[in-house]
Amino acid sequence: MKFFLNILNKVRPHFKGEGKLKRYYPFFEAVDTLTFWTNDQTKSGPHIRDSIDLKRTMIMVIVAMIPATIFGIINVGYQHALALGIERGWLANFWIGLQSYLPIMVVGYATGFFWELLFPIIRKQEVDEGFFVTGWLIPLILPPTIPLWQMVVATSFGVVIGKMIFGGSGRNIFNPALLTRAYIFFAYPGRISGDEVWVKTVDGFSGATPLAVPVANPGADAVTVLNNVSQFDYSWFNMFIGWIPGSVGETSALMILLGAAFLIYTKIGSWRIMAGAVIGLVATAFLTNLLAGGSTNTMLTLPPHYHLVMGGFLFGTAFMATDPVSAAYTNRGRWIYGILIGLLTVVIRAVNPAYPEGTMLAILLMNAFAPLIDYFVVQGNMKKRMARYAE
Amino acid sequence: MAQIKIRKGHSLKIAGVPENIIKENLITTQVSMRPVEFRYTKPKLTVAEGDRVNRGTALFFDKTTPDFNWASPASGTVKKIKFGARRVIEKIVIEIDKHEDEYLGDSFTLEQIAALSADRIKTIISKANLWHLLRQRPFNRVVDPKDKPRDIFISAYNTAPLSPNLELILQGNKDYLQAGINVLNNLTDGKVNIGVPAKNSIKELNNLSNCETHQISGPHPAGNVGIQIHHIAPLKPGDKIWTITIQHLIILGKLFLTGKFDPTIIVSIGGPGAKVPTHVKTRIGASIGSLIEGQIGGGDFRIISGDVLTGRRVEEDDFLGFYDTVISILQVDRSRPFLGWFQPGSSKRSYSLTNSFLTFKKQAFNFSTKQNGSQRAMVPIDAWENVLPMDILPNPLYRSILAADIEEMEKLGIWECDEEDFALCSFACPSKIDVGAAIRQGLDLMWMEG
Repeated sequence: MKFFLNILNKVRPHFKGEGKLKRYYPFFEAVDTLTFWTNDQTKSGPHIRDSIDLKRTMIMVIVAMIPATIFGIINVGYQHALALGIERGWLANFWIGLQSYLPIMVVGYATGFFWELLFPIIRKQEVDEGFFVTGWLIPLILPPTIPLWQMVVATSFGVVIGKMIFGGSGRNIFNPALLTRAYIFFAYPGRISGDEVWVKTVDGFSGATPLAVPVANPGADAVTVLNNVSQFDYSWFNMFIGWIPGSVGETSALMILLGAAFLIYTKIGSWRIMAGAVIGLVATAFLTNLLAGGSTNTMLTLPPHYHLVMGGFLFGTAFMATDPVSAAYTNRGRWIYGILIGLLTVVIRAVNPAYPEGTMLAILLMNAFAPLIDYFVVQGNMKKRMARYAE
Repeated sequence: MAQIKIRKGHSLKIAGVPENIIKENLITTQVSMRPVEFRYTKPKLTVAEGDRVNRGTALFFDKTTPDFNWASPASGTVKKIKFGARRVIEKIVIEIDKHEDEYLGDSFTLEQIAALSADRIKTIISKANLWHLLRQRPFNRVVDPKDKPRDIFISAYNTAPLSPNLELILQGNKDYLQAGINVLNNLTDGKVNIGVPAKNSIKELNNLSNCETHQISGPHPAGNVGIQIHHIAPLKPGDKIWTITIQHLIILGKLFLTGKFDPTIIVSIGGPGAKVPTHVKTRIGASIGSLIEGQIGGGDFRIISGDVLTGRRVEEDDFLGFYDTVISILQVDRSRPFLGWFQPGSSKRSYSLTNSFLTFKKQAFNFSTKQNGSQRAMVPIDAWENVLPMDILPNPLYRSILAADIEEMEKLGIWECDEEDFALCSFACPSKIDVGAAIRQGLDLMWMEG
């Protein structure tokens, strides 16, 4: 390792001061501090600092997503085998899944890092670490069948419009990964609006996602119609484990819960947002169940525990609603933000049959409203204090 | 006796905790006063290089406050007066004489002190040139002798990393403590509040009169007087609260009981870089070189006057800060671990308030001066809130300070804040933002706006 460090130290002068390559210093700095952790020393303020930095924060989020990622890749292969009607071991399934997952991921990271490097070089800033997580998230929330050119266009949109034009990580309004997905959702709605399943490389294969099943069967009981689907096993337990078609990372509630527990344990993800979202979803689903009596909308009869394991709700709640930058940043605000995400998810799912999946839109909508929530929380804090001052 | 339990915060498990013994160290041959330390004052010299001064003689005064002089902490010769940029007086160095001539004022008994009028007390402190023992909130600056503070607060609960053991400080000083409290009690119409540890085993802190005792428990910064004020009787705009450190309270008490200015203080020396972490009996403004003798081995070190969270970086030829009671010594670690941010971490190398490293936090940690990352934009993962035991929203407050929005800062409670209470926020911040410095910046703005 000493050898590489020596190389870095040797080329450093070219990137610094009056060196020939000084324009590309942000690039050098990124490579330099990614390989060998920075040894910046404290100057002012506390002379000692916590070991955590943004690089570590980001890598922890990725670690939390690893179970869901591995399961998702195996599931891609499994669904492929299921569609072909053959049996395969899990390792073979993983291999088949990796063949369609890896290109998406590589293309996504390549596109993202291109922009992530270009902007800091022009702006003479340091490259930040935000895209580690964004780049990991994007392939997980997309179907494994996404064309690579769409991936390039959408990732560019998500990174440039979602983040870089605001100044980089920490300054963005929307979660860039979700914006990427939203872009594909609206620009190429062909196979991603959440009603049809995506299964790798089997021509002419189609079927309904679990969330589309109740929509397609008006006037029935949601649980009954789900259990009547013969093409896939849409029982609650199977959806909890995750052997169903869907976006790569979202299918397994179990693996996502593992990741969420890890995020809460490490204190990097906000448990308030996650708890708020689950409470909001369960409460609203109960309410729609009560209202379902006089309606033919089957979606209204879907019980809360089905809502939890279906679609992208858990994945979005655990890994995207908790994005600290685009979420509310006051603790009371985080509760409100979470609860409203849960509420909106059910409302969009149940009331708007055009979009069977509501989580993405719910989170993006709440990203937009997070500053407003914080504004009211901060005003409340001020009012309380002013009242005390006036005593 | 009120109980105050503080839950948020963190007491750092830093290696090199000073042993509970006191080494006599009065051999320091030079002492210094540093006018730059007393913020928002306009110091003007009353001595010149080569002058002979007694202990207690005024060295400089504040142009904006009449009769506000700073006493010399020793008798001797003014050896050097160092100026900084724009003729700011940085420090006045005094070479100590063998025979110390000291200031002698009137002495009183405890009962007599309790009966003294506020005016009489103020005259005595003015004559001794010792007003700078007291500080006021807001702003954490020296007091204006003309003021009548709403309350007076004293913290007798040390939580700052490596701070001196209270038991050692207070040993045999019960009368001085009580005398100091009696003095302060006559300066305010409000109360003298003293925060003591909840499980108090220090007999000197029992049965104090003329004051209200509050039992404080919890991690750092629970021992900070600002946090205690916030939980006992928070500041309102226009309020003035006076504070004094426990060691300075003893000096004040001695002044009234004996008529003498005794500059003795107990300083703890510790930290991962200290060879023999210990307590030292020395004097105000002692030279760092004399204090750290035999403490530092080879290699790269940083010496800090004050605790590791709020202290000031000093060199060996520098001097102890007036309000500092800790000398912390840290190692400078310039290593660059390969993929360090990616490694699982270990109890030897990583210390975090988050659980993102595989560590066992039982053992004391060898902190170095490493920043452990580069500065980034704010990413609010609750790190600040978790170590700030105040009803203050640190994030909005920080933003309002950056925007220089004075009205908003006031509404968000800047009057109740001081940088030392936010030092742990800077410690914990994953983006390496110095929140404490921002708070000071906000207070500076408030001061300039009057």
